[in-house]
Amino acid sequence: MPQLTIDDHPIEVPTGTKVIAAAEQLGIMIPRFCYHAALGSVGACRLCAVMFLDGPVKGLQMSCMVDAQDGMVVSTTDAKAVDFRRQVIEWLMLHHPHDCPVCDEGGHCLLQDHTVSSGHAIRRYRGAKRTHRDQYLGPLLQHEMNRCIQCYRCSRYYQDFAGARDLSVMQIGNKVYFGRDRDGTLQSPFAGNLADICPTGVFTDKPSRYMGRRWDYERSPAVCIHCSLGCNIVVSARYREVVRLEARFNPHINGYFMCDRGRHGYTYTSAAGRPRQAIFEGQPADVDATLQHAAERLTSIARMHGLAAVACIGSLRSSVEAQGALVRLCNAQGWPAPAFFDDDERLAAVQTAVAQQHAQVHVSLRAVENADAVIVAGCDPIAEAPMLALALRQAQRRGATIVVIDPRPIELPLAFQHIPLAADQLAACLDDLITRVGTVAHDPGALETGSPADPLAAAADLLVRSRRPVIVCGTDLPNVAAIRQAGKLARVLRENRDSGLFHVLPGANAYSAALLNRGRSMAQVAADIAQGAVKALLVVETDPFHHLPNRKRLTDALARLELLVTLDYLDGPHTRKAHVFLPSTTIFESGGTFINQEGRVQKTAGALQGGTALRLVSNTHPPRLYGQGIPGNQPMPAWLMLSALSGESAFGSSADILQWLAREVPGFENLKAAQPPTGEDLLLDSAGRSEIGRHCLDVTSESPLNPPNSGGGLHLLSTERTFGSEELSCRSPQLIELESTPQARLAPSEARRLALKDGDRIALAAENGFYETTLKVADNMAEGTLAVGRHCHPDWPWDGRHARIADRSIKKIDQRETKINP
Amino acid sequence: MLTPLEEEEIKFVAEHYASLDGAAIEALKIVQRHRGWISDDSLRDVAEALAMTTTELDSVATFYNLIFRQPVGRHVILLCDSVSCWIMGYDNILEILKRRLNIAGFGHTTADGRFTLLPHVCLGACDRAPVMMIDDRLYGELDADKIDAILAQYE
Ligand code: SF4
Ligand code: SF4
Ligand code: FES
Ligand code: FES
Repeated sequence: MPQLTIDDHPIEVPTGTKVIAAAEQLGIMIPRFCYHAALGSVGACRLCAVMFLDGPVKGLQMSCMVDAQDGMVVSTTDAKAVDFRRQVIEWLMLHHPHDCPVCDEGGHCLLQDHTVSSGHAIRRYRGAKRTHRDQYLGPLLQHEMNRCIQCYRCSRYYQDFAGARDLSVMQIGNKVYFGRDRDGTLQSPFAGNLADICPTGVFTDKPSRYMGRRWDYERSPAVCIHCSLGCNIVVSARYREVVRLEARFNPHINGYFMCDRGRHGYTYTSAAGRPRQAIFEGQPADVDATLQHAAERLTSIARMHGLAAVACIGSLRSSVEAQGALVRLCNAQGWPAPAFFDDDERLAAVQTAVAQQHAQVHVSLRAVENADAVIVAGCDPIAEAPMLALALRQAQRRGATIVVIDPRPIELPLAFQHIPLAADQLAACLDDLITRVGTVAHDPGALETGSPADPLAAAADLLVRSRRPVIVCGTDLPNVAAIRQAGKLARVLRENRDSGLFHVLPGANAYSAALLNRGRSMAQVAADIAQGAVKALLVVETDPFHHLPNRKRLTDALARLELLVTLDYLDGPHTRKAHVFLPSTTIFESGGTFINQEGRVQKTAGALQGGTALRLVSNTHPPRLYGQGIPGNQPMPAWLMLSALSGESAFGSSADILQWLAREVPGFENLKAAQPPTGEDLLLDSAGRSEIGRHCLDVTSESPLNPPNSGGGLHLLSTERTFGSEELSCRSPQLIELESTPQARLAPSEARRLALKDGDRIALAAENGFYETTLKVADNMAEGTLAVGRHCHPDWPWDGRHARIADRSIKKIDQRETKINP
Repeated sequence: MLTPLEEEEIKFVAEHYASLDGAAIEALKIVQRHRGWISDDSLRDVAEALAMTTTELDSVATFYNLIFRQPVGRHVILLCDSVSCWIMGYDNILEILKRRLNIAGFGHTTADGRFTLLPHVCLGACDRAPVMMIDDRLYGELDADKIDAILAQYE
């Protein structure tokens, strides 16, 4: 490990560390534009010049290009180095507009900072400036090319790091241009990071343009809740409105970046239509009175029809506190335990996954990046957990081979092997891999190396040769048997390698919901309502119309209820149909604890004070309002309202809930540590919790590895999309612009068999209705599968997310007559 | 649409590279030889043939000043404006060319579409400075008289 001296401070760093990074460890930030820890060095901007006074390198050198070596003596404050950096700024500023006041980067601009700190204040250059035409890049990013200083961060990030192919470097020399061949929406779902990574105002966040300067914003750390990964973010809020999200560095999860679903999904929190008023008997009321009313009515229904007549539905997007308070409420009142998951299959799948998590086997997203072989089983990373796709790309760039076993036509921004396999074959396939890996581990000659005819043999070979394999397993498509086999595969590999298991779950707090769910699924609750067994329903921060595909059936069921109480911050049929409505706060207002898919506990505080966004109630500039009170400030944290409903067993604080969970609910024990060791996240460890395990076994004990194909036809899958499927982000206006129209995807051989072709409008017939969509014939798909992109307002005439559909139920629609052919 | 001949030529050169996109420059040169320049449509067709995105290919095309992304005249004059030619008075030659061709300067095409005038950094014939090249032919030791005779050779 080389030891060197920087500005008279000695430091020892690992071999291969650049001098600029070594200085950072001492807290010395050498000015830089092109260097970025995630992108490495290119030596393009020349701003990081420092003086090497003694040692193996001498003179003025770029600190981002020189490896730290023993005996180096470096000065960052040497007069020559300082002057050199001043000159670099002067020439980088030659063509740059002097108009920071109208630039949206102003206030958080690296170029502005370095220009000011270098003392360059007067332009000496008198020549004509080079100017560029800006491009339209879609709803998320604004382009202002004249502000470019040619650091190449954008193209290195976009092309190399993110693997996207529609933004590049054009032209040469003085004219160099970062953009596309023509105007058009950037295609990568990670494009938003360009706003963070560009050190000047070329790429800025478009929806938040001109909303304020960074110092105007209330800024606070938070976590993203638009999928189960829990990427870390910084929230900027102003005038009671969330204005912008940025990625916040977390070494274990998202690194420096985040996805656009997470970055732009926030708009629900300040949306004009957000219900902020408690309501009962159709009248606005105050929260306390409404809570009292709700409690009375729930109790009276329980008294009249029995405790089982009250049902509760919880949410995967609620904080652990709200989930815990709901469970405690049900315990205290003697009502049946709440349902958190939409259907039984999902409940069983997630519980099976969570019961397998073990501190020694489950790994972070970072470990996925460092893997040398990854098997992705039954998961579409870019749709179900977008940043996983970016992590897989880094793994692949470092030499890992990625194999995806999934029936869908998976698309990833990297080179990977796809084994298109029907969802119900997955368990058997993984079992096969386990056997092969087991045989080869004992008899290295048993496997023919990478025989191309047999992709599974190649995958087994890959695993046997790997040192750090990771098995990624979804919970949307795979059945319980497949999830078990994926876990087993990771454990078998563990015998002589550093293997890992990584699950993707269906929601931000699906992990804790899986630990808490002791009862039914939402689908069962709906069925019980339809049969008249349930008379009162309490819905907490979830829209059953989003989760239960068959809207008509649900509407009919809810109509039978005597009482529907809804607590939420989203507007929807579930809030509009409620007899009693209680407005709750979002994560941006009250924060909360979220536990990601690997059991990582992340607590966040609120980012802003509740209340209707000023923009919506005042049209002066700057917006202001006269009068008493804050409009729209009724919403309260869900845990607080639920706690109030539980009467005597009310929690005093949100911390009490976590302590209660740690004491009472198996799997949450680690929450006892009030404070994790500094700099570390708390991790739950739920493996071997026989309680959860037993529960899964009950649900799932006889799930065969290879279920018999029930009567031919196709396996109809409703599958998640990056934009437009997730409950919160599907409301974001800027993301709606990016949404693709959901299509039904089918393998060419099946299309031929059914005499259908690409682009056909088709109708899928169910018992009570039709689903209309457009057919996409996709080459890389499993036979026997019809995969339909999931819509956030489904009108899906089947009861489950997935169904079997007979050939004759798939009909082509004659577009001229818009009638279904007989 | 690429012509069958263009397709064949591109296929032939691509065989010499480890990956299709390695042939990007050669493929652009082939199409430019047939069509004079690379239109947006040509760009798209070549990109498709090489399994590249149009952005990736345009990044290559715009890097090279001899790949023309705008229409040029029937003949392209490259006038050297580098050191030796500058010392030997390339600016005189430029003035003469401008007058003879009746154009505003570099980057312009004559009204009849006969010539486009472009600057070029060192044509590698410094010993004969000032130098210019028309299409594939090099002309050195230029002066006013020579220029008239040279230009007259081109239709
Ligand atoms: S656009 Fe921004 S990130 Fe890209 S090279 Fe220019 S200054 Fe750097
Ligand atoms: S990957 Fe998931 S957690 Fe991360 S930013 Fe995207 S939606 Fe949010
Ligand atoms: S940061 Fe070192 S040259 Fe740009
Ligand atoms: S400088 Fe003109 S040919 Fe070399």
